[in-house]
Formats: sequence, structure tokens, C-alpha cells
Amino acid sequence: MTGLSDSGNPVAPPDIPAGDLPEAAVRRLQSGAYSSGLSVPDFAACLELGLEPVALVQGFCVMQWAWYGSGSGYMRGMSPYTFGSGGGGYSETYRCPHGFVSAEHRTWGQNLEQPWVEEAWARGYGTAYTRMIEEATAQGAHGVIGVVDRIGTVADTGTTEFHFLGTAVTVDGGRPPAGGVPWSTYLAGQRLTKSIEAGFMPVAVVASLASVRVWAFCVTEYLMEGQVGMGWGYTGGGPQLVEQVSKAHMAARQLARKHVRRQLVGDELHGATIDVATRELAQGDEVIDCTLRGNRVRRFKDFDPIAPPRPTVRLG
Amino acid sequence: MTDPSARVPGPEAHDLPKDAAHRLEELEHGLFTSDLSVNEFLLVKEAGFHPLGFVMGSSIYHIGIQTRKWGESQELTKLTEAMYTARELAMTRMEEEAEELGADGVVGVRLDVNYYEWGNDSAEFIAFGTAVKAEDGNSYRNALGKPFTSDLSGQDFWTLMQTGHVPQGLVMGTCVFHIAHRKLTQALGSMGQNVELPNFTQALYEARELAMTRMQDEAGRLNASGIVGVRLEEKSHQWGSHTIEFLALGTAVTRGTGEVTLPKPTTIISLDN
Repeated sequence: MTGLSDSGNPVAPPDIPAGDLPEAAVRRLQSGAYSSGLSVPDFAACLELGLEPVALVQGFCVMQWAWYGSGSGYMRGMSPYTFGSGGGGYSETYRCPHGFVSAEHRTWGQNLEQPWVEEAWARGYGTAYTRMIEEATAQGAHGVIGVVDRIGTVADTGTTEFHFLGTAVTVDGGRPPAGGVPWSTYLAGQRLTKSIEAGFMPVAVVASLASVRVWAFCVTEYLMEGQVGMGWGYTGGGPQLVEQVSKAHMAARQLARKHVRRQLVGDELHGATIDVATRELAQGDEVIDCTLRGNRVRRFKDFDPIAPPRPTVRLG
Repeated sequence: MTDPSARVPGPEAHDLPKDAAHRLEELEHGLFTSDLSVNEFLLVKEAGFHPLGFVMGSSIYHIGIQTRKWGESQELTKLTEAMYTARELAMTRMEEEAEELGADGVVGVRLDVNYYEWGNDSAEFIAFGTAVKAEDGNSYRNALGKPFTSDLSGQDFWTLMQTGHVPQGLVMGTCVFHIAHRKLTQALGSMGQNVELPNFTQALYEARELAMTRMQDEAGRLNASGIVGVRLEEKSHQWGSHTIEFLALGTAVTRGTGEVTLPKPTTIISLDN
């Protein structure tokens, strides 16, 4: 995976020049008034924590997304004669147990991690993130709270845009951030307050994408079509495990977790969310994308028990 | 492009329809209307304000056409001006209604755009909210001497007042941008590669920054110290997917002069489902 610094934080690749903010961004950040994407309750909680909003900061990166390109290693990975993905990632090969030979009968199948997709995603994510942090640094911010990242397509260009938005804040009487790089967190308001109250300081937002391609072999294909009796080790009429697809889903989740763990560098992950999207590219050919996001946090004080919660009933 | 917000022609003064004047006259006799929920009403009262009436402003605007270059990303300044001016007209008329009621401000403002079959290339821009007046007799009008406007709910309005901040106005900035189509040679040049497309990145960056800068300029004219609850909306309206309006909206606020002690948050267990 690229897009990570030695400390584990997402960063832009080395060929992205520092200080490449557009002129409009520089102009906006130089104006006097602060802006914040915080809701009013989050704004109030932020003030209560001693955080002062400085500016709404953002970062973008538009990436071309090549799923099938010659540089993708797709053909190499999918060859029935070559084991492994060729990229050093996860792969599993499945072979037909029936002994049929026909053009329609898939005699082999493969689960294959797509590191080139994961790297491209990390590159887009890291670049957009770095630009947002660059904006925050230019404002002399200590951190960025309420980070939102949106990843979507641009018009119908077939490209993918990574868009980060957050509120840069300074800490009343706080020391400059470690290494001069502001910390960041997806949290704001009550969730951030509770995390800090519990003794955890935000370090950085962390995220990763794991992408696994599933090329079904005959047994998986029959099971996915609801046909019975052709399964591998089939023993009766009850529900059956679709082993190849189950393993691919499990692998995608484990890989996402593994990638994020690399970014934690011994710190803890809080408030993690996991999103899984599957896309069918052709019959028996699908991609499982698993995105894991969370907050890298570091303990800075012992747990201080909070006051017992007050039971409430809403009148709304 | 020059800042569209700086040269809005401005609606005719007192151009409210007759029926609006009649409705507002009734409200002046003590009856109030509002779109506040019961909870919002409770908290607006708690913040020391009284609802005066439901106010609105509308503008049906013909949005012209502007040629765009197929392979070039650019701001469509005529469309930007149209989208800004139309919203500004609707907002100004809503403020006029609030003014008629002697309001200090308008809370819960919503801005909508509607399209009708009978109006090709036309759209109705509507602004509506609840006019409120302070019960302590102090004026809460903004730096321009007009009632403040804000898209904050009653709950948010109360919370903001607790932090010692006062809303100044709903501020916005817009930028209609044409995103270039990729030429065949460009697409072929990067085929099969996962790479950043710097032209697209810069174009989208520029468009959003322009919208946000214009919003901040509005806040500057109100002498605001900040903007809370900024939303960045993106819509293609009826222009096709390559032309996008980037709209930045938020409530400009100023910090009051008095010392404020923020209440310590209390942890709760909700007994609701």
C-alpha cells in the first residue's frame, strides 16, 4: 500500500508537490471570517472542549480508475496456469471436481486481491487528505475535527473524486501539533467529547480499501444460481455454504483490517465503520470492495470515570 | 469573474403582492403563524424570542443559456449570476415580509428551487422561515440594520445563543461550473493507469473554493466573526451531468460581548426506543 507516512498517517505520494493549493483556496483562507461545517450542537461542544474553529478546510483528488487496464495485472492474476495474484496479495484457486470438459463449464475459479486498485484508492485518499491538512496547516490549526470524506464519480467521466471536508481548530493555549502536522478525526461534538473525556486524543483519520475479485468456478456458479446436486461435497437438500464467495467476503474484511492496522503504528482504532460494496462485472465475475474507516487515537490520560448518566425521556 | 453578490440589482422596494400585505396585516394583530415544531417553539421562547409569523419570498427566474467549450472546464458566469440573483431576490422578499412584521430575525429558513412544466428554462426560487422578535426589547438586527436570517432550527438557535453567539444572516455563495469532457487522445494517453487527473482536480477545487469564498465575502459584509453549519451542495439541475452548481450555505454569526460560561455537558441514557 502507498499513501502512508512512516508514522502511519495517510499522505500524498512523493510526486505530489507540497503547497499545490489552488489560488482560490489560498484567497479564501486569507479572508478574516472563519467558516465551519460543524452543526450548532457540534460547534457548542467544540467550544466547551476549548477548541476554536478556524476554517472549513478541504482537499480533492480526481483519479482515473482503471479496472481492466494492461498495467493492472488483471490477466496475469486470472490465468488458470499461474497461481497467486502476481502482486503478492491474497489469492485462492478453485478447480472443478466433476471432470467435465466443455466451453460452458468453468473448470477453474479464483479469488484474487487487487493490490493495484487498493494502491490507487490509497493514493487518491492520501492525496486529498494531505491537501486538506495542508489547508489546515496554512491556518495554523492544531487539528481538524468532523472530517467527512466523500468518494464518488465526477459527472459521467468515469473518474473517481476523493473529497475531504473538515473544520480546522486551534486548542486554547495548546502547544503546536507534533511535527507541525495537525491531527484529525472523523468525530465532532458529543462523540469527540466522550472520547477525550475517556482519555483518548485524536491522532489521524485512517482508512483503507480492500478489493477482492471473484471469478466463480462451476460449483460456485451452480450454487449461486440456486441449482442443487452439483455442489462440491454436497450431502443433502438443505442450504449450502457458497464457499468461494464466503471466503472472498471474509478475505476482503480481513485485508481491510490488516491495511488499517499498519496505519495505527501501535495506537488504537475507535469509531470504526465498515462498508462493503459488491459489483457484478459479468456472469460469475464480481468485485468485493471493503472500506474500513476509523479514528486513530492515543491514550493521554487514565480513564476518569464520568458522572452516572441521567435517564431521560424525550418529549418529542 | 467579479463577485456576483456584489452587483445584485436588488428587487424593487416594497414589491410584495397585495395578498401578502393583507396576510401580514392580520399577523400584526397578535395572531402568529409558524412552521416551528412544538419543541422548536419551546426553545425559541426559551431563548427569549417570540414567533411573529411565517414569512416567505419567491422569484420565478428565467435562466438563460451560455455556450460552453466541450473540452474545457470553466465557470459559467451567466448561470452563476442567475442562480445567485434569483435566490437573493427570494431572500430579500422574505426579509421584506419580516421587516413588515417588525421582526428581529427569521429562523428555520429554507431555500428551495422548483421547476414547472410550463416554464422552460425557468425556475421558482422560494425562501421561507419564521420571523421572530426578542422579548427583552433589545434589537438583534444585523450589521446592515435588517432582520437576521438563519437556517438554524429552533433547537440549534437556542444552542447557539447559549454559546454567546448571535446569528447575522444566512450567507451563500454559488458557482456554476462546466466540467470538461475528456478528449479521446487524453483518455487513450492514460488508458489502463490509475493516475490523478490534475485538470479535473483543479477544476473542481476551483469551483468549490469560489462558492465558499463568495459565501465568506457575504459574511464579511455582515461583520460576522464566523459561519456555522456550512453545507456544500452540488446539483446539475436541468443542465446535464457535466454542468454542476456548487452552492455553499451557512449561518454567519458574531460573538456577543458578554462573558459566557458554557454548561458542562451531562451524559444521559435515553429511555426511548
